[in-house]
Order: sequence, then structure tokens, then C-alpha cells
Amino acid sequence: MMTESIVNRIIAERPNHDGALTVAGLGHRRRMPLSELHDRARAVAGALGRNGIREGDRIGVLAANRLEWVLLDLAALMLKAQTAGFEPGKFTPDAELVERYDLDLLYTDVPVPGGAPATVRPIAEIAGHADEDPPELGNLLWEPGECTTVKFTSGSTGIPKGLEATAASVDSSLRDVQGIFGHRPGDDVLVFLPLSLLQQRYWLYSALRWGHDITITTFQSVFAVMPAVEPTVVMGVPAFFDTAKRHIEGRLADGVDSSKAAAELFGSRIRYLWTGSAPADQAMLRFFNEAGLPIFEGYGLNETCIATKNHPGAHREGSVGKALPGKEILIGDDGVVRVRSDHPVNTAYTYAPPGESERMFKLGGVVRTGDLGHLDDDGFLYIHGRADDLIVLDNGKKVIVRPVETRFRDTGAVAECVLYCPAQTELVAVVSPPPGPVDAEAITAALEAVNAASEPDERIARVITADEPFTIDNGLLTSQFKPIRKRIHERYRARIDDPKEGIHAR
Amino acid sequence: MPADIDTLAREQLAQVLRDRPDPTSLDLGEDLVETYGLTSLNKVLFLTSLCKAAEVGLESFTEDDLAGMRTLGDVVDALRPHADQKG
Repeated sequence: MMTESIVNRIIAERPNHDGALTVAGLGHRRRMPLSELHDRARAVAGALGRNGIREGDRIGVLAANRLEWVLLDLAALMLKAQTAGFEPGKFTPDAELVERYDLDLLYTDVPVPGGAPATVRPIAEIAGHADEDPPELGNLLWEPGECTTVKFTSGSTGIPKGLEATAASVDSSLRDVQGIFGHRPGDDVLVFLPLSLLQQRYWLYSALRWGHDITITTFQSVFAVMPAVEPTVVMGVPAFFDTAKRHIEGRLADGVDSSKAAAELFGSRIRYLWTGSAPADQAMLRFFNEAGLPIFEGYGLNETCIATKNHPGAHREGSVGKALPGKEILIGDDGVVRVRSDHPVNTAYTYAPPGESERMFKLGGVVRTGDLGHLDDDGFLYIHGRADDLIVLDNGKKVIVRPVETRFRDTGAVAECVLYCPAQTELVAVVSPPPGPVDAEAITAALEAVNAASEPDERIARVITADEPFTIDNGLLTSQFKPIRKRIHERYRARIDDPKEGIHAR
Repeated sequence: MPADIDTLAREQLAQVLRDRPDPTSLDLGEDLVETYGLTSLNKVLFLTSLCKAAEVGLESFTEDDLAGMRTLGDVVDALRPHADQKG
């Protein structure tokens, strides 16, 4: 049963606690009490209202993490206007974007292109509005089924799908996460992933409600900011923690002890690390746990929000945790994970090609994730891979590729590994080399080690070393750092299909 | 007193590269991303470590400065005035 709405409480009540927001980056840092942030957001809401923004309107934000992003988000909530967060670098602030997603205003930090409609505004002007005296706003409150924001799926192809999130789903996730982690005054949650991702903005709502601090920075600055602000909680995708692990390992090799090396990078106050969005390597998770930085992996899609999470009270290695109180995990006969929510994010996409909603959203608040998994007797969920990552060999044997790919990554010889089956029973891996010159000998040794640890049908016949590491910029990783299987196949098809190409297994 | 900035920069870059190359083999003119495969996360780690070693305040630089540091030579040029100020 839902009780008080957290969203409604944080917009209606000026915080009376000591929580603060820090916005930091290379060369700048600004700290502001959350009570002041609330005042400034009300001032921005007043200005937006004067500019004609009303309940039900939609405000787009296409900008890197910054104070104005936060102010706009809160101001929009106060006006019952929707936000639409666009990931920087992935969209152009032009008439097409405004039209396609029905935006009433679009604020951006990139130069406004010539010919853009007057509804496209530089986000810097929000700073001016924030300095005004905050007006008294009407007592607008969100109904549980009303949608506070539109989020966009970082799909591998085509136009991003839009998904509106209900106020009840936001409340439910905030309440469930608070129930297992108990964030409190003294905590400082570090946010560096884009604020266009709703889950990152949850930490702002959490700070306003429960009185902890929040620090917002950018992906580019995070390693410089962490030791300076000394957060207690850091949320990052596995690739971020992989990089941190390699750095700390380098320091250990220099003779620095592990707690000092970890503190140099993360500061000395870490309570726990949060990861999700993409599969995490067990070796990486173990590394941080053993270094005294507990790290908790979870699971969820845009369409379900957070569904399961390991946490200090219930943690099992190799799993992505148990279902949150408002969620239920169902495994179908096909082995595919389904998530049922008491308060669904939504029951359909807002912008998507025909058939997409039906494929994902089922009756009764159920979402079919497309991931394969199982539950253990205690309710911990284990993800095996994507249902569409299943390769059926010509001999009828089924190979779930992800465990094999993970095994290859875990050797440390490659940064990423994606498997294909171009002919009969021959598995071919395309690997993304780690930074620096390609070490063919290390990859050959890793191939032999992976095959020695694999079942006969899982053995890799050949390895194609990619010409350059997979990156977001070259289109081979999603913004969540997941390899884009189809594009990698398109890029390396000739070599995958040529049996003479690559490093051959013995 | 830190060693000269050129030497420090080579040493710190070698440390963030996976195969830990000989610092003297690194080329000041090569692109950090394209030639040495430095990711954006590793780039800021490299700058952080270098500033610490050179005793230069990290706050001297902005994200735009970081984006402009495309080669090891760019990094050395950006740090040198600050290191010189320290005497």
C-alpha cells in the first residue's frame, strides 16, 4: 500500500534539514543547502510559469550534469510539468527534436543551431531565474498514475523509445531503496552518470526527503572529484568500477596498501558502492568487497525501474539480489525473467514503433525483460544472459554466450568479448582490446585458458581482435557500456565469416 | 621538489596504460586516445595522478582544458606554467 507521496512531499515542503547539494567538476565546486536549492527551484518555477509553462506541458533538457539541470527538474515537478531528459551527445536541439517529442520548451547547453525554434533555450538562462525571489506557488500535487517525466531507452538501433514514468513508480522505488540502504544525514551520494537518466535524479529526491547530501559531477571529472568531496555512496556502471579496479591494482603494484589506494581514489568515507545497468564481473565485485568497499549489484530495466538489489541485509555473490518489496520476479517456462510491479513505471511506451509495447508490457503490471535467469530457493535472482544471446548450434546444442564472454573478459587480456556462430558449430569471438598496443600473445593464452574452462560446445574456435576498442563514440557500446552485438557483427562480418581470419584455438 | 614535468608525465601515463610501457618510449606528439587508447575515465585519472606527483593543484584545470589535452605534449604544456610557479 502506498502512503505519503515522496514526490509531492519534496516539492511542497521546503527542507528543514541540513542536507546539501554540491555541484563539482574540474576547476569548480559549489555547495548549497537543499533548503536554498528549494527556494531557487521555486524561483525558476515562477519564471517558467511567466513564460507560459503550465500543468501537463513538457520541458526537454539536453545538457550535461549541472546545477541548472537540477533546478529545472525540481521546478517542473513543482508546476506539474513533465521533464524529458535527453542524453548529451545523442540528440540535436533542433525543430525535429521539439516536434518529435512534443516539447513546449527545450533547454540545452550546446549552441542553439540557426533556425531552431524559439522554444529552444540556452540552459544558462535558468541561473538568472534562480536568483529571483521565489513566489508562492499553488498547491499542485501529482496523482499516482500521472507521469512526471519521459525517459528514453538507449536502444541499439533506431529512434529512442520514449517511456513516461508514473509518480507512483518513482515513489515506490525511492521508498524501497531507502528501506534497504537507510540513507541518512552524513551520507553523501555521488552522481556522475547523466541526469537524463531518471534513476540519477532519484538521489536528489532522496536527499531532499531524507536529509543526506548529494554531489553531482560529470563522467569526465568523477575521478578528480571523488577524493576531494569524500562521498559515502558512489553509483556507477560496471565499466567505471573496472577502471577504478585497474587503477587501484596499479597502486598495489607500487607497494601502496589496499585501503590507502582505495581511499586515494574514492576518499575515506565510502559506506558502499552501487552498480547495475550492465553485467558486472564477479572478479571486480570481489576485489572491492575484499578491499573493504562493499559493492552491491542490482537489476532492472528502464521499463521496470530497479527490480532487485543486493544490499547489506541480503547479499549473495553471483546474484543481482532479491526483489524489492514492490516487485515480484517471475521466471517463465522459457527461462525468461519477468518483473511484476505493484506500481508499474507504465504499461506502454509513449514513442515506439507498433508492436514494441506489446512485446515488452504484459497484463497485470508485468514486463517481459528478455533476460534469461533463475531464482534460488531464497529468492536471489541470477541473470544468465539475454534470451536473444542464445546461440543454437547446428548440432542442436544451445550455448548461452554471456558466461563464456565473461570468462574471456575475466582473463584481463581483453576489455570486451562478443561471440558469434558463423558456421555450424564454430564459435568466433570478436574481442575489444584493452587500451594500449594489442598483445596477441596474451589473447592467445587467454583463449586457451577460456577453452580449457569451458564445456566442449562452448569452446571458441577463433578470435578476431577488433581494430580499435569498442567505445560509445565509435558506436559499438551503448551509453550503458554494453557491447552492441549487431553493430559489431556488421563491422567485422568479413573477418568473422572468413575461416582463415583471427587467432585460432589449438 | 618534483622531477621535471616531462619525465613525470611520461611516468604517470605509462602507469595508466595497461602494458606499462617504458616511459621514455612514449611520444609527446601522439594522440592519447587514438594511439595510447586512453579512455575519458583514464584520462582524468592520469591528470589527477600527474598533478599530485607534480604538486600542481588540480583546480587549475577545467573540463575544457582536459578536453584540449590531446597529446602528452599538450598535457606537459598545460602543467608547466603551474609547476614553474611553484619554483
